[in-house]
Amino acid sequence: MRNGHEIARLIEPGRVHRSVYTDLELFELEMERIFGRAWLFVGHESQVPHAGDYITTELGRQPVIMIRHRDGSINVLLNRCTHRGAKVINERKGNAARLTCCYHGWSFDTDGRLAAVPVPEGCAADFDKAAFGLARAPRVGEYRGFVFASLAAKGSSFEDHIGPMKRNIDDLVDRAPDGALALDAGMHRYAYNGNWKLQVENVLDSYHVPFGHASTINKQGVQFARREGDRQGATVVEAEKTQTAPSWKERKSYIAGSGHGWTSNTSLDEGKRSSPAFDEYKRVLAEKVGAERAQQVLTPRLHNSLIYPNMSIMGLNIHVRVIKPVAVDRTEVTIYPIRLVGAPPAMNFGNIRLLNVTHSASSFVQTDDLESFARAQKGLRSCATDWVDISRGLGEEEADRELNATRALATHEMVVRAQYKAWLGYMREAA
Amino acid sequence: MTASRAPAPPGAAGIDRAAFETFLIQEARLLDERRFREWMELFAEDGTYWVPAVPGQVSPLDQASLFYDDRELMKTRVERLEHPRIHVQTPPSRTAHLVGNVLLEQSDEAKGEYVVGSTVIMVEYRDEVQRLFAGRQRHRLRRDGAGFAHR
Repeated sequence: MRNGHEIARLIEPGRVHRSVYTDLELFELEMERIFGRAWLFVGHESQVPHAGDYITTELGRQPVIMIRHRDGSINVLLNRCTHRGAKVINERKGNAARLTCCYHGWSFDTDGRLAAVPVPEGCAADFDKAAFGLARAPRVGEYRGFVFASLAAKGSSFEDHIGPMKRNIDDLVDRAPDGALALDAGMHRYAYNGNWKLQVENVLDSYHVPFGHASTINKQGVQFARREGDRQGATVVEAEKTQTAPSWKERKSYIAGSGHGWTSNTSLDEGKRSSPAFDEYKRVLAEKVGAERAQQVLTPRLHNSLIYPNMSIMGLNIHVRVIKPVAVDRTEVTIYPIRLVGAPPAMNFGNIRLLNVTHSASSFVQTDDLESFARAQKGLRSCATDWVDISRGLGEEEADRELNATRALATHEMVVRAQYKAWLGYMREAA
Repeated sequence: MTASRAPAPPGAAGIDRAAFETFLIQEARLLDERRFREWMELFAEDGTYWVPAVPGQVSPLDQASLFYDDRELMKTRVERLEHPRIHVQTPPSRTAHLVGNVLLEQSDEAKGEYVVGSTVIMVEYRDEVQRLFAGRQRHRLRRDGAGFAHR
């Protein structure tokens, strides 16, 4: 196995070695050293509102169940029978009083304890049911309904990890008049033939939009309307030209440690946002939280946020995105629409409907990204050069004391460099 | 040969299925020939195109869908398909739609409104990859001059 010194040589200040996207051995090491110990987003409490409600997902490649127990607690259990190893729950979501393995019928309580074994008289004399409960994620943390888990018993605390990103979660949750979100409006799922980091790098990449999403931008340089109440989207390029628009170039991106980051949103005209659904939402929000606070909440500051390494919160077409590595050149992405609890149904419908347009498998936006990811994976087979350039704006980063973060232009690549700094932090040391 | 014991589909009596079948085949051909603007014109002004995300999905309003387009969104979608820099259609898909198992499920002759169920198989070839899609579709149609329009 590669040692830390060798791995460190793959990351330079403004470039990374192509093998971080293509090397099988490095991918296995990522599963162990990043996905085997980092805090990973698992799900949202609204996905399991009642006792026995569960969802199944994967942490890295490991199948897990997030399930609510009778006492109201949320458990993150490894979805692997403690008998002969079969995956216990095969559905993406459901409700069960007992989790029963299909193979020999071992059944587990909703807190993971082994409840019953068929033909118990055949068990070894010293068989101890208590030792055969479903394994649990060693550490679980929750903030405003967002549930994270670490598959390692030790490591940086949940507070240290999530602390710098709490305001980003708040920014989204506070848009709900009742101060809560619900991820109960289904999901979009897709897979692409490319490395997982291609999607992670993309979520804060404002540089790719004018060209990568050119097919969504009209001759006036304006994108289609993506939010309820907007008549048009952001101005991305100069009218009748292909140059990036000045307002787009002014956007900022931020990093705050641990690979996390976000982009600011300065390119939409909030004053013109109006529709019956949006106006009613504004009224309800002001009624609940006061006019002044409602105005603050509705003024876009944060655009897209990345909570490294596996999830992002997108503030424009509001959704939660989960990134799952499947193989070195295969990645699955799940997109959850968000319902703002307490908002008028028409407002929530507007958000769900526009997310179909931007991020379903048939969408106007995400499909062109997936094409770029797949082409990157193909292009990186080339040995013409071993290096991938991430040097835009190198050395131009500046401190933002007010936000306790580091700032750069969003068309620069500071956020990608920060992701590789975190990547190396995990990768250079054995678990 | 014994007579079929299958019950006649409701509302089908006396209505020629062939007219609906022809409409579906013509629609498939417009898609295969990438005549998307003409395809869009098959929809009434208040027509919608819905592809649910999960089997049995009851409503497009409270759940994610693959498509839920009104004419306005269809227009934006078609404009994008015509854009020279649509990377995911470079090269463009080549498709073959096959429509079959056509049944008139409901009809209201007085209003000229019909519901037609069918099965569609679509093979796509793009960028050296062949993909197979299959689905059941339901057309809600309104008589429109000599033909039909999607409701």
